[in-house]
Amino acid sequence: MEKYEKLEKVGEGTYGKVYKAKEKATGLVVALKKTRLEMDEEGVPPTALREVSLLQMLSQSLYVVRLLCVEHVDNKSGKPLLYLVFEYLDTDLKKFIDSHRKGPNPRPLPPQLIQSFLYQLCKGVSHCHSHGVLHRDLKPQNLLLDKEKGILKIADLGLGRAFTVPLKSYTHEIVTLWYRAPEVLLGSTHYSTAVDIWSVGCIFAEMVRRQALFPGDSEFQQLLHIFRLLGTPTEKDWPGVSSLRDWHVYPQWEPQNLARAVPSLESDGLDLLTKMLKYDPADRISAKAALDHPYFDSLDKSQF
Amino acid sequence: MELDLQNPLTTSYEDLQYDGVPSLFSNESDHMSSSLLSFDSSDSRFSIRRSAVALLSHAKFSYNLDPFLVYLSVNYVDRFLSKQRTLEKKPWIAQILVVASLSLAAKMRNSDLSLPISDLQREEGFEFESQSVRRMETILLSTLQWRMRSITPFSFLQYFISLIKTDNDDDDDSSLTQCLNRRASDLIFNVQHEMELLEYKPSIISASALLCAVHGLTPLMFSSCEEAISSSEYVNRGVLLECVGAMQEITREGYEQSSVQASASGTVTPISVFDWQGTSTVSEEGTTDNSVKRRRLNGSSICDSITFQISQIQRC
Repeated sequence: MEKYEKLEKVGEGTYGKVYKAKEKATGLVVALKKTRLEMDEEGVPPTALREVSLLQMLSQSLYVVRLLCVEHVDNKSGKPLLYLVFEYLDTDLKKFIDSHRKGPNPRPLPPQLIQSFLYQLCKGVSHCHSHGVLHRDLKPQNLLLDKEKGILKIADLGLGRAFTVPLKSYTHEIVTLWYRAPEVLLGSTHYSTAVDIWSVGCIFAEMVRRQALFPGDSEFQQLLHIFRLLGTPTEKDWPGVSSLRDWHVYPQWEPQNLARAVPSLESDGLDLLTKMLKYDPADRISAKAALDHPYFDSLDKSQF
Repeated sequence: MELDLQNPLTTSYEDLQYDGVPSLFSNESDHMSSSLLSFDSSDSRFSIRRSAVALLSHAKFSYNLDPFLVYLSVNYVDRFLSKQRTLEKKPWIAQILVVASLSLAAKMRNSDLSLPISDLQREEGFEFESQSVRRMETILLSTLQWRMRSITPFSFLQYFISLIKTDNDDDDDSSLTQCLNRRASDLIFNVQHEMELLEYKPSIISASALLCAVHGLTPLMFSSCEEAISSSEYVNRGVLLECVGAMQEITREGYEQSSVQASASGTVTPISVFDWQGTSTVSEEGTTDNSVKRRRLNGSSICDSITFQISQIQRC
């Protein structure tokens, strides 16, 4: 790793530390993601092998953070480490939304920018899904931005299975539940691509509102947040819901008007959001179909 | 999610399988080993390849290994060698390369090869410590930059088959489609050893194999199928026809030379299989020499090669 000069620690990703670093030879600024590689007598574990090679392949999309190279080194005590070297982007959607909510100049995000970010997000998610990969942890912190060019890219992708998603990250920060789909919260064992679309819906609403749509602090509270707005799901709108593993008897709420949660969103946008937040995963719009939704009709797609 | 060579990108989302096609085409160059062709024919890398490929085909037939797994291993060997600058002429280099490639391919395919791998070593009279094999795996991984989901000709077969289907043949399981798929797959397996074809992209090998299969089964359909495939935005017709020609030549030569072998094994093996002792067949030498000359004229470049860290594994 002597090729790189570490500049600063920029975060604790879900799977390990992330550094901003400079490649000495070229001066290129990169993000170094350090991951421990649990080696046994069989060598590199098959799961890690399959996931990293998948990541290699997925990162060819413009809407996925580019994996520039993979460095395999042993640390001082001989433990194998994997450095994933990614392109560096200086901000993420969480910081971006925060800067519009607080600070010296609070203001809404421009509607065209929301539209463009959402389109790029759907592009990236559709790319992953067409490759059979679920992200499973989409959230504003995982969406990196190039502010100058108005580009959004998905990060922290594909490692969901090789390195099981921990409940707490390295800093013991609780992994956020805000973007988690109701079927996951209710203990469904068969996830589908729809879990990512739910997250995309939550992120869409958050760009409009500049605050989280469902800010729960426990799995139970998270469900109540969702039910209070969208109504407690019934067998009628979601067949099979009451047989899910963690289903209990909940207070019966009637669905609220979603428009009240996102007052500044125009009607096509509201329609798309509604389709992304359908209870029944089978009814939820796919990323690919979302790209053709009328909400994006006014977007100049030639730039993508 | 294990690697399926016919469908390296998607898992079970059958209806989505064509969405990955553009990215397959845009990434296939990362998975080529054409720079092997720019090496001098006396280069040690050639003899290492020859021994490695021979050892792998021997293992395939002796232990009845999954042909896709062996294909993947040869692919790793080729890509590894094409990125090396210099290698010593030591027999163990080919051997440990084979063991590490098989082991990685098995991990990608989610199968257990520990038994055949140790049998192979015992039978061939070499035995590497597991630590050395692990080290070789690591070197292979970093050389290939963990791009272990090889894009191979198999990745494109479904796509090209979809292009040549006629309207009244929209059933996936139609016997003709199945037969073409099988024939083309056999061809892809059989021509993997041919150095001459390394200069072609996996997609071109795939399309050519399919056209050769069409030519063999339903010659009257050849020109319409060729037209359909050439109309793909991803295919350069000139290169395609050149590759089809080269492939037909190889197949013809192979039939003449190895008809005895093929009939003995009872499989359709229309090409020469490398002699296990490491001496190459006439056709192999011939094609190698020609292609080397041609490549030099093209002035192809060796991509950023990583020098083989022999010191790292020589302890074994």
